[in-house]
Amino acid sequence: MEEQVVFEIKNLKKNFGELQVLRDINMEIRKGEVVCIIGPSGSGKSTFLRCLNLLETATDGQILYEGADITAPKFAAHEYRRKVGMVFQRFNLFLNKSVMKNITVAPMALNKVEKEAAEEEALELLSKVGLKSFAGAYPETLSGGQQQRVAIARALAMHPDVLLFDEPTSALDPELVGDVLEVMRNIAASGMTMIVVTHEMQFAREVSDRVIFMADGYVAEEGTPDGIFTRPKNPRTKEFLARVLKEEEE
Amino acid sequence: MALNFGDAFVNLMPKLMSSLLVVLQITALAFILAFVLGFLIALGRLSSKKALNAILLVIVEFIRGTPLLVQCFYIYFVFPALFKLMGMSISISAVTAGILGFGLNYACYMSEVIRSAILAVDHGQVEAGLALGFKKSHVMLRFVIPPAVRNSIPVFGNYLITMIKDTSILASISVAEMLLVTKNYAAKTFQTIEAYTLLALLYLIISLPLSQVVRILEKKLNHAKR
Ligand SMILES: Nc1ncnc2c1ncn2[C@@H]1O[C@H](COP(=O)(O)OP(=O)(O)OP(=O)(O)O)[C@@H](O)[C@H]1O
Ligand SMILES: [Mg+2]
Repeated sequence: MEEQVVFEIKNLKKNFGELQVLRDINMEIRKGEVVCIIGPSGSGKSTFLRCLNLLETATDGQILYEGADITAPKFAAHEYRRKVGMVFQRFNLFLNKSVMKNITVAPMALNKVEKEAAEEEALELLSKVGLKSFAGAYPETLSGGQQQRVAIARALAMHPDVLLFDEPTSALDPELVGDVLEVMRNIAASGMTMIVVTHEMQFAREVSDRVIFMADGYVAEEGTPDGIFTRPKNPRTKEFLARVLKEEEE
Repeated sequence: MALNFGDAFVNLMPKLMSSLLVVLQITALAFILAFVLGFLIALGRLSSKKALNAILLVIVEFIRGTPLLVQCFYIYFVFPALFKLMGMSISISAVTAGILGFGLNYACYMSEVIRSAILAVDHGQVEAGLALGFKKSHVMLRFVIPPAVRNSIPVFGNYLITMIKDTSILASISVAEMLLVTKNYAAKTFQTIEAYTLLALLYLIISLPLSQVVRILEKKLNHAKR
């Protein structure tokens, strides 16, 4: 049975001035899929993800979300973004708000959830990410790994249909990565549609349904995790994997 | 000649107190004007409209490049004259001229404070707000302006204290503020030393506690930021 298509990306291009960052991206993302995007630095992974939630405006091409063209002029980006959560590399928590407020501010303001209900749910989310006792803390008193888990809880509180992750663990000390990946595994297991830009090859291999290798603004290769990691076809994929897997061993 | 502080105190103090009231009124109104205008200028300077930005920059640089006293003179003497040339008669009281002059002048300085405080708010928080589904204007109102204003409070406090002291220049456009009152008293009684010493002490009594309040606020804010 074919699952419903969430994103359909057609001939997506993005330039920054003269620099062509996304050259021609075509892709479909289906409901419930976990897609990992890997690739060398500067290949346009973040830019692609940012185009998906309209933090960057596509230069050309189309992005359809559940059939609606989100690149159309006058498209209501703010309403659309409520359904598409984003987790950033640098967490981006609201620094002058407590952990609790970070999580409840959007549901209360945008989904008109009552304060009590919002806080109750925030506590549930916090215990899911293993931070139940941190509701009153301020972001700057937390470790990077804790901040990132709060950021994930904040995104989940909006009940998004899709979650986008841009290298959620690459700003973290190695010993803090595991907890964040664990949380992401659980979200994936719950059936969430996820697009994850990552350098964590092990995670990509274990958790994703599909791996996309990007290079120079193109999708250079895509396939099942097993296919990409054990039988890469494109020489650039081979070279990239050989390099990162060697780095990981060191 | 014996100094007679008791006499000066009894005779001058009531006058100083009523002129202090004038000073506080001018300061309060000018400061509110400066804050509101400064905010609007800052937002205009941050907007993507290039023409607006350029016009505001010229105005800010013009006002910052001329002395406050000259600006007050301009408003008090030149504006009515200009209106007269155009066949309108407009009279501006010295107090109004002072409020406008101080308000405009301080607005320019405060706009720069607000502008840089807004720019200092980490852009990641703006993107987080947008990604959650807030409109751009709501992101500004909720996540950018509050921390920017909070972080500017100590600077605003110092501006307020400076403004209170600066109002003494309004003596030159005949505002019955404390310097003018003291000068008149000294001229009449020849108690020059007593009068000006009392005046200086009064300024000190006003500004010292205020500076202390600002210092405490600064500490609190730094602490809250962690
Ligand atoms: N706002 C911008 N203005 C100009 N150039 C940009 C901008 N954002 C990204 N770029 C450029 O676009 C290219 C792709 O950047 P992007 O961040 O998408 O790469 P990436 O694949 O995410 O890399 P990394 O693995 O280092 O995060 C880079 O050359 C980068 O310098
Ligand atoms: Mg990136």
